[in-house]
Amino acid sequence: MKRRLLIIIVIIFAFNLVTPTQQQKSNNSDIQIQKAWARPAAKYANSAFYFVLENNSSRTDTLLGAETKISEEAEIHESYKKDNDRMGMRPAGKIAIKPKSKFEFKPGGFHVMLLGVEKDLHIGDKIEVVLRLKYAGKIKAQAEVRDMPMTKEMKQ
Amino acid sequence: MKLRHYLFVIILFWGCKEKLPVIEKFGETSYKLVDQNNKEEIFPDFVKDKIVIMNYIFTNCPDICPLSTNNMRLIQERLKKEKIDNVQFVSLSFDPEFDTPEVLRKFADIRNLDLSNWTFLTGDKSTTNSVIKQVGVLAVPSDSTVFKNGRKIYYYVHTDRIQLIDPEGRIRKNYKGSTINVDEIVSDIKKLQ
Repeated sequence: MKRRLLIIIVIIFAFNLVTPTQQQKSNNSDIQIQKAWARPAAKYANSAFYFVLENNSSRTDTLLGAETKISEEAEIHESYKKDNDRMGMRPAGKIAIKPKSKFEFKPGGFHVMLLGVEKDLHIGDKIEVVLRLKYAGKIKAQAEVRDMPMTKEMKQ
Repeated sequence: MKLRHYLFVIILFWGCKEKLPVIEKFGETSYKLVDQNNKEEIFPDFVKDKIVIMNYIFTNCPDICPLSTNNMRLIQERLKKEKIDNVQFVSLSFDPEFDTPEVLRKFADIRNLDLSNWTFLTGDKSTTNSVIKQVGVLAVPSDSTVFKNGRKIYYYVHTDRIQLIDPEGRIRKNYKGSTINVDEIVSDIKKLQ
């Protein structure tokens, strides 16, 4: 009886230990972050983090927010056209990424704003930003600090 | 017949060289501002007799203003390559309360900008407001972010602009700063030489 109980406990323990890891791995492979880069910024100033978010899963996932040790705050923002030649920027809230699709966070559009960077971000520096998604959970992204997106000629 | 053909080409060429209209002129108006080194500059007097490429920024802007600034850098590099000199680059902040000379200096340094012919300007809010009003640039505070420590920063809805000013202090053409075509402005600069 005790042996049976022990076996059941071991099975439950093993299940709990393995399942979340497999789930995390599975979700993470469903979401891919590509072409990540960030703008240079002096300490206390703001930077912007750009990337392409690819949802390979069969359901819509939602980017809920971002966090990083590199800045005081990280918010999803959107640059928008006010009229002919006026531009503005506003918080963008959550972003839904449709199944089997890509969503580009790019200059002049959506981006993660890194508010009040903790140190100078020089061209060539590497930073890490964690994206929070509804289903895929937290995903780490590495980005290089650059003044412009990487072109095909630059060979990523 | 041949002579008429040549005359037509000459007239066409002459017309192209002269086709940039005068949008606005500073005339006798000048403004007391300070540069990124806290040195007083009288604008546009200090760039008199030079072709000026000018944009309007605030450094808390992480997206559009860096795009415009990077385009200024691309124009500067292109002019160097083509050995076109007598051109001065100017970036004026319309958020001078935040953009002190030191902040502007850091904004330029962190981007490795070549300041040999590029000046960042700030000054009294009333003065920077007067400049942008004269040149037709609008900048209105809109959304803001409040930090955990209570610090608040504003984002501006603003005109996304790079301007071409001739050596007589006359604005000759407006471009969209974040998406400017470098070939176009370089071609226009050549028309003013």
